[in-house]
Amino acid sequence: MRRTLGVVAAGLAATLVIAGCSGRDLEGDSSSNTAGGEQITLKVAFWGDMGLDNLKAEYEKAHPNVKIVLNSGEFNAQHEDLQKKLVTGSGAPDISAVDEGFIVQFRNQADKFVNLLDKGAGEYESKYLDWKWKASMSADGKQIGLGTDVGGLAMCYRSDLFKAAGLPTDRDQVSKLWSNWDQFIEVGKQYTAKTGKKFVDSGTNMFNPVLAQQPVGFYDEQEQLQMNGGPKVAFDVSMKAIDAGISANLASFQPNWDQGFKKDQFAVLACPAWMLGHIQETAPDQKGKWDIAAIPGGGGNWGGSWWTVPSQGKNIDAAVDFVKWMVAPEQQIEVFETVGNLPSQPELYKDPKVLAFKKEFMSNAPTGQIFAATAANLKPQYLGKKNGPTRVAVENVITRVQQGGLKSDAAWAEAVKQADKVAKTAK
Amino acid sequence: MTKTYVNRAPQDTRGSWLTYVGLGLVLLFSAFPVYWMFVISTSTDEAVAQMPPSVIPGGEFWTNVHEVFTLNEVFFAASLINSVIVSGVITLSTLFFCSLAGFAFAKLRFRGRNALLVVVVLTLTVPSQLGIVALYIVMDKVGWNQTLLAVIAPSLVSAFGVFYMRQFIAHAVPDELVESARIDGALNMRVYWNIILPAIRPALAVLGLLTFVMAWNDFQWPLIQLNGTDFPTSMVALSDLASGNYVIYRRVLAGAFLATVPLIVLLLIGGRQIVRGIMEGAVKS
Amino acid sequence: MSLTELRPASHRQVPPPKNVKTRSWLYRFDNKTVPYVFISPFFILFGIFGVFPLIFNGIVAVRNWQLDDPAANGWVGLDNFQRLLTDEDFWNALGNTFGIFILSTVPQLLIALIIANLLNRRLRGNTFWRIGILLPYLTPVVASTLVFAIFFARDNGMANWFLSLVGFGHETPLDWRAQKWSAWLAIATMVNWKWIGYNALLYLSAMQAIPKDVYEAAAVDGAGPWRQLWRITVPMIQPVVVFTVILSTIGGLQLFNEPMMFDENPQSASGGSDHQFQTIAQLIYKVGWKDLDLGYAASMSWALFLIILIVAGINTLLTRRIGGER
Repeated sequence: MRRTLGVVAAGLAATLVIAGCSGRDLEGDSSSNTAGGEQITLKVAFWGDMGLDNLKAEYEKAHPNVKIVLNSGEFNAQHEDLQKKLVTGSGAPDISAVDEGFIVQFRNQADKFVNLLDKGAGEYESKYLDWKWKASMSADGKQIGLGTDVGGLAMCYRSDLFKAAGLPTDRDQVSKLWSNWDQFIEVGKQYTAKTGKKFVDSGTNMFNPVLAQQPVGFYDEQEQLQMNGGPKVAFDVSMKAIDAGISANLASFQPNWDQGFKKDQFAVLACPAWMLGHIQETAPDQKGKWDIAAIPGGGGNWGGSWWTVPSQGKNIDAAVDFVKWMVAPEQQIEVFETVGNLPSQPELYKDPKVLAFKKEFMSNAPTGQIFAATAANLKPQYLGKKNGPTRVAVENVITRVQQGGLKSDAAWAEAVKQADKVAKTAK
Repeated sequence: MTKTYVNRAPQDTRGSWLTYVGLGLVLLFSAFPVYWMFVISTSTDEAVAQMPPSVIPGGEFWTNVHEVFTLNEVFFAASLINSVIVSGVITLSTLFFCSLAGFAFAKLRFRGRNALLVVVVLTLTVPSQLGIVALYIVMDKVGWNQTLLAVIAPSLVSAFGVFYMRQFIAHAVPDELVESARIDGALNMRVYWNIILPAIRPALAVLGLLTFVMAWNDFQWPLIQLNGTDFPTSMVALSDLASGNYVIYRRVLAGAFLATVPLIVLLLIGGRQIVRGIMEGAVKS
Repeated sequence: MSLTELRPASHRQVPPPKNVKTRSWLYRFDNKTVPYVFISPFFILFGIFGVFPLIFNGIVAVRNWQLDDPAANGWVGLDNFQRLLTDEDFWNALGNTFGIFILSTVPQLLIALIIANLLNRRLRGNTFWRIGILLPYLTPVVASTLVFAIFFARDNGMANWFLSLVGFGHETPLDWRAQKWSAWLAIATMVNWKWIGYNALLYLSAMQAIPKDVYEAAAVDGAGPWRQLWRITVPMIQPVVVFTVILSTIGGLQLFNEPMMFDENPQSASGGSDHQFQTIAQLIYKVGWKDLDLGYAASMSWALFLIILIVAGINTLLTRRIGGER
C-alpha cells in the first residue's frame, strides 16, 4: 500500500514536470512553435515602470522575428508568482526581474534559472559593481541574473509645498536642514504645524531607507534574524515619525498612496533612483514641482534589480540576447534618462551623458551627479533568503500602528514576533 | 378596530404609495453601485478624488476604456473573449448533459434510479471549497493546469442542473406523450430530441442564463488556474487590473464596467426568465 | 416546483413498442442501457471533477504535500489537523468568517423578507421591480467589490463623506479596513447588497404559494399587515426560510471574493495588515497557493466543511424552533 502510493507520488512529481511542457493547450501561443526560428515571443515580467516601453519598440524593430510582451504587476505578487511558476514547472515568464530583497531566495534555486555564465556572461563580471555581481550568484558559482539598477538613496521633496510652508526650496539648503533623521522629523513637525498637512507619505517609507543605511539588515550572513540591530533603529525612526503626527499613513504603492500624490497629502518621499519613475508615472502633472535633496543619515541601497531567465522557457537563447542588450550601456543610459533607474555598472557613473543629465521632471535636478555619488559610497547589505517575506511582515506591523490598531510602544514586540514567525515558517 | 383590507391576502392587496417608496429605495440601493461604477469609469482622476463625490458621468469613458484595452499586461480584450468561451461552453454542456440526465430521471425506468437521484441531491450541499486543493492536483496530473480547460472541465455539468431539469420534465411533459412516441417505435434519443427538448425550452432558457451568469462571475478557481497567464478570464484580468503598482480607479472601474455589461444585457433580455428561474428554486452553486 | 419538494415521478411502465422482432435487441438496449447512457455523462464528469477530488482531498489532508518541496511527500497522520488547533491565523480567520457571516446573514434575510412582503402586493410594473432588485445578483462580485472598496476608502470615500455630513470623522476619517468591526461591516454590506434581492424572490415565490383562505381566516382575529407578516406569512414559508438559511450558511462560510478584493492590495490575500478580515477560504488560498502547502490547505478545507455542517445543522434547528411556534 505504502509502496503503491510512493509510486503514485513519484508519478505526480513527474507530471509536475511534464505539465510544464503542455501548459498552453487552448492558447495556440506562438512561442510553442518556434523551431523554424520564425516568430518568437518573449514575455518580460517586472513591476512598476522599468523604462522598457521604448526599448521594446526599438528591439522589435531591429529584430522583426521577436515580439516582446511586457507584464508589469504588483511588486510582491510578481515575486510570489515567479516562485509559484518555478516550482510548478510551467508558466514562468521568459525573462523576470528580481529585486534585491528576493534575489537570495532565488539564487538558492539556481537550477531553475539559466546559468548566464554558460551563455557567455563571464565578460560582464568586470563591468558590474562587485557586490551587485555577487549578489545574484549561487553558492556553487552559477550566475542567475544580470544587474539592472542600484537604489542609491536621496530624498525627493515638493519645492512648491516647501515654499508654501516657509521652508527653503533650494536643494542644497534643503539638504542642510537634515543631516540626521531626528532633524528630519523636526522639519516635518514644523511643516505640519505650519500647513496642517502631513509631511511624509508613510512609516514604511521611513523604515525601508533607514534600514538600508544600516550595516546589517534583517539577517546576517549566517541567515540568522537580527531584529535588534538595524531593524530596531529603522523601526524606531518610523515610530517616531508616526507619533510626531507627520505621516500621512498611506500604504505605499497602493491606490490611496497614488491619490495622496495628487492631493498633496505629503511633501517628501525617500527616493532611491528607481522611485523617480514611480513619481513620474503616478503624478505626471506635478512636473517641475519635485526636487531632490540628500537623504538624512548618509548612503545606503534600497532596491535595485536583476534580469533573470528561468530555465523552463522555450526561447532561452533569445531571452538571454535580449537581457544582454538591455544591460548594454546605451540602453542602461536610456532607461536612466526616461525613468531614473541608476545603472549598476560603475563605468557609466563617469559617462558624460549621465553626469550632464538633468531631470526635467524633477526641476532639472542633476540626477546623474546626485545618484552616481550615492552609488559610489554604497555599503551593500546582506539580504537573507527570507528577506522579502520578513519585510512584508514588519511593514504590516507598521501599517497597523498607522491604522491605530496597535500602540507604537507595543509595536516593536509585535514586529519581532511577526518577523520570528516568518523566519521560522516561510520558505 | 380591524381595517377592511386585512381580510384580503397580501397578493390581492393593492400596493400603497408607501410600498412604492419602499421599493424605489430598494431599487436605488441595488442600482447605485453599478451606476457609480459607470460614473467613475467616465471620470478623470480629479473627479474620482473629489469631495463631495461626483455622481454625474464625465466624458472620459472612451479614454478610460482605451487605456484598459491597451494595457498589454492585463490582456483585457482577450479576457473578455475567454470569458465568453468559458461561459459559453459551460452553458451549452450543462444544458445538454443535464437535460439528458433529467429526462432519464424523470421519464425512464431503470434500476437504482431513485438512489442515484438522491446522490445528485446530496451533492448539492457539498461546498465547492472542499475539493479545491485536490482538484488542483488532479488538473496537474492530467496536465491541464493553467489552461482554459482546467477552468471549464469542473463546471461542465451541475447537480443543480440535473435536478432542476428532472423536476421540470416530470411536471411539464405528460407521460402519455412519451408513451405514445415509444409505441410508435421511437427510440429514447428521438423522444429526447423531438419531444422533450421542445417542451422544456423555457427551462433551458432559465438554466442557461443562470449557468452563464455563474460561470462568468466565477473567481476563485479561475484565479488559482489563470493568474499570471496570458489568457485570464475577465474576472482574473480585473483583479490583475486592480492590483498593479499603478492602480488607477477610473481605469479599474472602466474594466469592471466592461465586465459587467454583458450581464446587464442578459438581464435586460432574459430578466423575466431569470426571475422565474430563481423563484422556482434556483440555488447558488 | 421547488427544491424543497422532491416528489417521485410517475411510475407508470412505458410499454415496449409492438413487436418488431428484428429490432427487438435494439429496443432492449434502448430500455435497459440507454437510461444509464443518458445519466452517465453527468456521473462521469461529476465523479472525476466533483467526487474524486473530495475523497482525494481527504488523502492530501493527512499527507505532507508541498508544491515547492515534492521530496517532503509523506504520511503525516493528523499532524495537519493538530497544527490547525494551534494556528492563530486559522482561529483568527474562523472568527472573521463568523463575524462577517452573522453581520451579513441576519440583516440579509430580514430585509429580504420585508422586501418580499412589499412585492407580494398587486403592483404596477411587477416584473420591473423583480428584475430591478436582481441587478446585484448578476453583477460580478469582483466588479462590485471594487466599487465598494472605493466607497469605503479612508481619504476620499463616499462612506466617510456621509459620516462627515452627520459630524463623524472630521479630524481623523475612519479607516474602514483598520479595525475588525468596520472591515466586517463593510464586507457584510457587500454581501447583503448582492443577496438581498435574490432571497426576496425566493421568499416571494413561497409567499405566493400560500393559500388565500389562510389570510381570510386569520382576518377575523384582526391582524394588521405587520402582524400578518410575522404571524401568518413567515410561519407558512418556514421551509423556504430554512432553505435560505442553509444556502447562506454554505455561501457565507466560504466567503472569498469580497474580502479578497476589498484588500488594498488584492493579490496579497492577507485580509488586511493584521488579517482583520481574512476569511477561511482566503486563508486556504493563501496557504495552498502562496505558501504552496497543499496538505495543510486540504486539512483546512475539511475543517471548514465540518464547521459548515455543524452550523447548518444548528441553524436549521434554530429556524425550525423560531418559525415553528405557530
